[in-house]
Amino acid sequence: MSIESFRGKNKHAAFSQLVRLYQERLYWHIRKMVLNHDDANDLLQNTFMKAWNGIDNFRGESQLSTWLYKIATNETLTFLSSKRNNNTLPIDQMEGNMLQNLQADAFFDGDEAQLKLQKAILSLPEKQRLVFNMRFYEEMPYEQMSDILGTSVGALKASYHHAYKKIESSLMEDERNMLN
Amino acid sequence: MINNKLPFKTPDHYFENFALQMDKKTAPPQTINFRRRKSWFYAAAVIAAVTVLGGARYYTTQKEDQKRYADNYESYVLSQVDESSMIDYYINNNN
Repeated sequence: MSIESFRGKNKHAAFSQLVRLYQERLYWHIRKMVLNHDDANDLLQNTFMKAWNGIDNFRGESQLSTWLYKIATNETLTFLSSKRNNNTLPIDQMEGNMLQNLQADAFFDGDEAQLKLQKAILSLPEKQRLVFNMRFYEEMPYEQMSDILGTSVGALKASYHHAYKKIESSLMEDERNMLN
Repeated sequence: MINNKLPFKTPDHYFENFALQMDKKTAPPQTINFRRRKSWFYAAAVIAAVTVLGGARYYTTQKEDQKRYADNYESYVLSQVDESSMIDYYINNNN
């Protein structure tokens, strides 16, 4: 889709197409971070409304997909930060609450192993969790991740490598505890 | 072994509904079709004018009727009184 599609009287039709093209990818990008469907839905709406309001000023310095991912990522991180500040809970306790809610969530489709994996991912710092999710679940190229997150490819590779090792170690620890 | 299958699901038809919802939120405001509305405005204006004029006519007619009735009544009363009684009345009232 070119930027010109969003100028003039075709703007709405073009944007409608854009929503249909990117809604799923952006939804899952957000959902992996917030875990809860309702929160993901709200953030996805915010993302597209910000895109709608900002598309007239978008000059195509980056790809449309990169621009949308940036908006979605910022919305998500702002939401999580605000949630943490409003709850006045210790950092690990907020993640604990998120995991507890996930277990009871009607839209959680995973088994015990999946729950343990989510618990391990939640133990990562937010930015590292983002990197892990984008590489592990979306298999996004590091170059694209670099454009979205504004971090060098080298730093992202290191971050992902550490995150993977940490999660692997956490899952093995869980397994050892189960056997004992 | 960790697999990368996501353990989340969405409500049924979520994405179709979401896209439609966004279509509505970003739809341009509807412009009023003045050509179709014009005939309604004219009709409303005619009805209003007829009501006002009709009301004014009715009021005027009522007043005229009342006056005519009053005049008729005076004439009627006067016709019931003979001339000598009338003269006596005027003489007595002027004194």
